[in-house]
Amino acid sequence: MKKRFILLAVILIASFVLGACAPEATPEPETEEPVVEETEELVEEPEETEEVVEPTEEVVEPSASIRIWADEQRAPVLSELAPDFLAEYGVELVVENISGIRDQFSVAAPAGEGPDIIILAHDQAAALVASGLVAPIDLGPKADEFVEEALNAFTYEGELYGMPYATENLGFFYNTDYVEEPPTTWDEVYSISEQLIADGTVQYGIVLAGTSYDAYPWMTSQGGYIFGTDENGDYDPTDVGVGSEGMIQFGEMALQWVEDGILSDNTDNTTAKSMFLNGDVAFFMNGPWELNNLREAGTPYAVAAFPDGGQPFMGVQGFMINAFSENILLAQAFLTEYVATQETMLKFYEVDPRVPAYIPALEAMDDPDLQAIAEAGANAQPMPAIPEMGKVWGDWGNALSFILNGEKTPEEAYTFAQEAIVAAISSDTTGMINLPGSWQSTVSDCEWDPACADTAMELGDDGLYYATFTIPAGDYEIKVAHDGGWDTNYGVDGVAGGDNITFTVEEEGEVQFIYDPETHVLEIVQD
Amino acid sequence: MENKNGSIGTVAKKSISSLSSFITTFIIIAVDVLLGYITYQLASMGYIPLTVVFIIIILLISAAFLIPKLSHLRWIAVGLSAWLLFSIFPILFTIYNAFTNYGDGHLISQTQAIEQITNQTYLPETGKAYEWVAYRSDDNDYLLWVKDNEGNTFIARPVESEGDTRIFDVVTGENGIGEIDDEGVPVTIEGYTRLNRILAATDQNLTNIKFGDPEKTIQVRSPSEAAELLPLYEYNPDDNTFTNQQTGKIYYDREGTWTARDGTQLIPGFTSVIGFDNFIEFATSPGLRGPLVTIVTWNFIFASMSLLLTFSLGLLISVIYGDPNFKGKKLLRSFLIIPYTIPSLITILIWRGMLNPNLGIVNRMLESVLGISPDWFNVSTLARIAILTVNTWLGYPYWMLVTSGALQSIPSDIYEAAEVDGATGFQRFWRITLPLLLVSVGPLMIASFIFNFNNFNLIYVFINGGPPIPTATTTAGYTDIIISYVYNLAFASGRGVQYGYASAISVVLFMLIAVMSLIQFRFTNMWEEVGENV
Repeated sequence: MKKRFILLAVILIASFVLGACAPEATPEPETEEPVVEETEELVEEPEETEEVVEPTEEVVEPSASIRIWADEQRAPVLSELAPDFLAEYGVELVVENISGIRDQFSVAAPAGEGPDIIILAHDQAAALVASGLVAPIDLGPKADEFVEEALNAFTYEGELYGMPYATENLGFFYNTDYVEEPPTTWDEVYSISEQLIADGTVQYGIVLAGTSYDAYPWMTSQGGYIFGTDENGDYDPTDVGVGSEGMIQFGEMALQWVEDGILSDNTDNTTAKSMFLNGDVAFFMNGPWELNNLREAGTPYAVAAFPDGGQPFMGVQGFMINAFSENILLAQAFLTEYVATQETMLKFYEVDPRVPAYIPALEAMDDPDLQAIAEAGANAQPMPAIPEMGKVWGDWGNALSFILNGEKTPEEAYTFAQEAIVAAISSDTTGMINLPGSWQSTVSDCEWDPACADTAMELGDDGLYYATFTIPAGDYEIKVAHDGGWDTNYGVDGVAGGDNITFTVEEEGEVQFIYDPETHVLEIVQD
Repeated sequence: MENKNGSIGTVAKKSISSLSSFITTFIIIAVDVLLGYITYQLASMGYIPLTVVFIIIILLISAAFLIPKLSHLRWIAVGLSAWLLFSIFPILFTIYNAFTNYGDGHLISQTQAIEQITNQTYLPETGKAYEWVAYRSDDNDYLLWVKDNEGNTFIARPVESEGDTRIFDVVTGENGIGEIDDEGVPVTIEGYTRLNRILAATDQNLTNIKFGDPEKTIQVRSPSEAAELLPLYEYNPDDNTFTNQQTGKIYYDREGTWTARDGTQLIPGFTSVIGFDNFIEFATSPGLRGPLVTIVTWNFIFASMSLLLTFSLGLLISVIYGDPNFKGKKLLRSFLIIPYTIPSLITILIWRGMLNPNLGIVNRMLESVLGISPDWFNVSTLARIAILTVNTWLGYPYWMLVTSGALQSIPSDIYEAAEVDGATGFQRFWRITLPLLLVSVGPLMIASFIFNFNNFNLIYVFINGGPPIPTATTTAGYTDIIISYVYNLAFASGRGVQYGYASAISVVLFMLIAVMSLIQFRFTNMWEEVGENV
């Protein structure tokens, strides 16, 4: 009994000691975690670390570490760099293979748990920039070594937020057993297919791997588009082209081709792939990510540019730096000094064939398929990185499904999709012309509020907008804002985004505002 | 506890009782210390709501074990804690989120946003940008070699360093400077080591060191540039505004985004409470005006048909092999359970492949035998039939297991009595087996109904709600149920993350399902009463 008591007493005292110690041991809880993860990572890649550590004959104590989130293709390449990097600079690279990087990052980064560097496509990155989760990158003189379009894709508001490493776009694949010279027009595609089907060589001439992105080069060849561009070349969300004539023309063409048995009515991605791999179709539009599969399957294929100058969308893959990282400078140095080299960039390209965005690597690229894909993407349109794009996909893609299963005519389908998309993009305040300013507080609860219902203008029969209010004496500022937001606003002399207009009311009375939507000039009339 | 028996207590008993209370105390202390440690960690990471929950849990557990009056709570204290942590807290957190704009553009806290905006710098017109090379002494003192665009070079010491000369020219022999290379960079400086860019960058503090004269400090900005920088925005905590130091423009907080009066906004924004905006957006969204009636109707049809089909098939099989004369039923039973043992995700994908209109085995067989090739994925009725078929395949083994057990519990004398009365087999099943079975499996049927009502996995993995509804103004499909439709509304197709909006929808859905469950609980009660009467 006594012994047991002593034992219990010892345990109890120990627990108190532990309890007293616990808070002291915790001031830096965040720093504890990375250490654990680092060791885990090292255990995961025993082969690589062994190989390199042996020749150097000394274990380098890392003075710092960089954590990277990459997808399954990029992660192995980056892990391969780790031993060299550690030996040369004493900095440890911790590469974690993460899927769904964007969504996980948007939770982890603000909590201080995020990695230093992530790899993402540029259209996914826009939201992270807007949320302040990624830091600007200064490539310095290295900027000249990157493809300009790729840099532009990662540039938001004039700041560069990512270091691009690869561009990707669809190419026009054809089976070289059936087709010797790639067709340059859709008419040729049709006649070649017709012949092959008549010979019994193939089931269909061509198959679509999807109803939106995967068919886009065909749509653009007929004049279809998604978003128009403004004078700066940026996408304009108010100009939606899903219901454009070119799009409808594409729809009619596709429907005709299906009825003629040239185009398969299947638009399922996996089915389309296996049809091309099995040699059931002669033509197929797909991206560089399919190259490894095609090579393994042994289907004889080649890649060409799109018939009739069709333009694919171009996505840019790149590295971004966590704005909450404690190693922003180190991460930048790693990217500009170590990753932005021909050697590393070529390694990425060997593991996963994509067209490099780094010019020296692009020039050294000797893969004929990728060169052909790069040519097919020479006229590519960058994938819109504006949030409105998220509201386009569903309806845009569904339209072609409706056409192919006969529920709607091409014109109905694309016009309907256009209306649905425009409705989804716009909100209740679309079309509202408002007069935000300091004066608003005299007639409503608002101040400088472009969505204030009380101060909205009304459209007159002459095409001008009118509003009349009784305003007390004072000096006021005012602007004109469209659509209930600040994206489109006009100031002095109708200048877009210009200076605030000022006006003075000498004594309380009615003030009439007249706005001309053509010149954007606001006229203020007082009695 | 044993102390109550003190009148007959012996020395041994007393020592046992003191020992047991001792152990109890010890365990409580251990648990409290552990929870306290977790609480401390959470608090230091800034998870305040979660910290509060843990404090409540600590108090609850300690109270349950230390206050005799609350001793009845001991047995459920752990359960209550888990309930608080995993059920109540997420619900409250979701409700809170529903009233914020947490999502893309507003992912970080106000403090974090202020810090980020305050850290933004600009290069004034008179300021200069330089190339740089850093040197470090063993005491971690730095020297910075810089070169401006005109090619002038000099070396700068940190502002805090001792001595008056903080800037000196690059001349071999002076200030310990050794050889100078072609670029004009000293190869060695006595007492210092020249660092390459990556090594220099390993010091997290380097960007914060100000070099040169106090009036005109140079800071490292990037691996290739150091510059005379000034902070771009100044924060005014009194009215929560930022002032642009370059232009004088003032930015006011507007629902989590600092917005100037000409409409320009600062990024990033932060999470802020926006009242009922999310609910209003959901209530007025085209999504609600659109295909909701179709979807809700199908949701009920899907859940009830799934229940009916799986239950009937399962019951049928268990009745068949419930016959004592049935040969090889053990083997058959094992085979029939197989669909239940394979992960449902894999089964769904296999079915998806089998029903593929072009390549699937089902259509190939149908085509060669009957000459038809139904398009399971693009025709609404066929897609619904397909999805019910898959769900029946997935669900019948469960009912087979449940009903075969329940059938055995029905007393055989009732059947004997029925036989004496001359009831046919059908009558026996309809009048005896089914009513008695429903009594015992009724609650399970409700659970199954609710499960299928929210069977997101099947719908999403099989054909993602397709085929699309042509008249829908939002993306919706004929096999979409409420949960998959809402998921598409809030998250899908690259829309980004809108946690606040999604939370608001969840709250609405939660209420909907709560009402439904209440109604179904009434049904359960009814069945229970029937059970008591039997």
